[in-house]
Amino acid sequence: MKKDLPKIDEHNFPIIFKHLTYFIKDEVLKTGINKVVLGLSGGIDSAAACYLASAALGKDNVAALLMPYKSSAKSSLGDAMKAVKALGISYYIIDITKQIDDYFQAEKDGARVNDIKVRMGNKMSRERMSILYDYSYKLKSLVLGTSNKSELLLGYGTIYGDMASALNPIGDIYKTQIYQLAALLGIPNSIMTKPPSADLWLGQSDESELGFTYEAADSIMYLLIDKMYKPEVVVSLGYNAGIVNAVYSRIKKSQYKRRMPLIAKVSERTINIDFRYLRDWS
Amino acid sequence: MHAINILLAQINPYVGDLKKNIEKHLKFIKTAAEAGAQFVIFPELSLTGYFLKDSIYDIGVNLNSEEASVFEPLYKASLNSGISVIAGFVEKDENYNFYNSSFCISKGKIINVHRKVYLPTYGMFEELRYFKPGGGFNIFDMAGVKASILTCEDAWHLSSSYIAVNKGAEIIVVNSASPARGITEGLDKFSSINMWEELLSVIAFYYRSYVIYVNRVGFEDGIGFSGGSCIFGPTGEMDARIDYLEEGYLKVEINLDLLNNERFKTPLIRDENLNLTLKELEGIINSK
Repeated sequence: MKKDLPKIDEHNFPIIFKHLTYFIKDEVLKTGINKVVLGLSGGIDSAAACYLASAALGKDNVAALLMPYKSSAKSSLGDAMKAVKALGISYYIIDITKQIDDYFQAEKDGARVNDIKVRMGNKMSRERMSILYDYSYKLKSLVLGTSNKSELLLGYGTIYGDMASALNPIGDIYKTQIYQLAALLGIPNSIMTKPPSADLWLGQSDESELGFTYEAADSIMYLLIDKMYKPEVVVSLGYNAGIVNAVYSRIKKSQYKRRMPLIAKVSERTINIDFRYLRDWS
Repeated sequence: MHAINILLAQINPYVGDLKKNIEKHLKFIKTAAEAGAQFVIFPELSLTGYFLKDSIYDIGVNLNSEEASVFEPLYKASLNSGISVIAGFVEKDENYNFYNSSFCISKGKIINVHRKVYLPTYGMFEELRYFKPGGGFNIFDMAGVKASILTCEDAWHLSSSYIAVNKGAEIIVVNSASPARGITEGLDKFSSINMWEELLSVIAFYYRSYVIYVNRVGFEDGIGFSGGSCIFGPTGEMDARIDYLEEGYLKVEINLDLLNNERFKTPLIRDENLNLTLKELEGIINSK
């Protein structure tokens, strides 16, 4: 008996939309700031977050940063611009090629090509984060996160890179559901139909790197995480054991990416251990 | 006709800010007066916010001490307007135990305090970490109608409404801070909302009572409360509801004639065998 990940459909979309836009409005406004800035990659996740932010705060209070590297797919910038134009939000194009290439000029010698590829990918991700946080200050805006639940759980992201943000409206929504949400948000078709990619190097594909499709992983993660079923129970329900174990292992191994750094407890009251307040405390 | 009018105040409290929340309450008391209501009911922990964690230590109020003067504006507003107020706060006793409490203020005085009995401590909830459980369910007078308060999780234990109704409650007030969660295909509300509405309907129908649900809205650290405050009549049907997720208010009418009519036609409470329940409960307790 298979239990399926629930779809975001035309029935539940209105309340999910209201919930997510209220989340952005409520959590942003209570900080005393009324704007957000986000990195717009041309992919579906950042487009969905951007549409939600624009609906929540108004187009004048959302700024998009488009930060291509020389190997970024040419369609990415075009797709990001489609979202910018459709929403009428302000945008900045900042090419990150120079700083990335300058840094790796000195680092490349002797390193294995594959290592360099991963390191460059991480560096680009953190370069973009660093620019986003600079613009956060410059534009008096909070950084809006654009990671979905699938990549957060699988650890398919760069710690302190694309995983960093002040608040994230789509972090509890699986990639499969992001497509359903995006369709109902009216996101341009070319953004919807391209294969998922971090676009850190030419031809990169999420699903070929992960070794399984998001659709397969999401239905398994829904049972492992949302339903809290043990992996063997998920397998007994008819799911592929190899994928179940690969997914579960990725989730466990990447737990560190989803938490704040460990602090050695010395005092009687330690930050985030027994000094316990909401972030919304103030 | 024996009827009373009640205003449901679905608010988004400021987390940890008693003063600002008192101001918000005063605003809604004024609204209740203008709407011709006799009562206004606020959600669980309406004066403090919900996920208070360590700040519970700072925001608790001992009703038998000087600290209670912070509520003076509410006492005055109830006295001057004639509106009775049910609101939620963090109560502290003389031994520094803290409770998730709700008081009813009428004519300038506290006439009832309910300390939440069932404190959820699982999933996202951690109430037992901070609060001491209350000891029961009181009946108090709401403009001539007998009422009892069940705070959020209290209502999930069907024994709570069983006790309240058998003690004479005609209105069950469920004040709540229920987070919105769970997507269901083909359903225009969160799964958690659906589950609540089914539960409230069951309580209203099988206990032949009015059930008034007042749930908060707003977000605390990403967790959003679903609102949807509503009233179920003794037929188990929802009479009216406030929108989900947003602040709002609603005036509802409790009609005792209709309640008595339903209780006559389907006398489930009359026929309840308390001795049987007691005997079975003793058996259960002794066998454990």
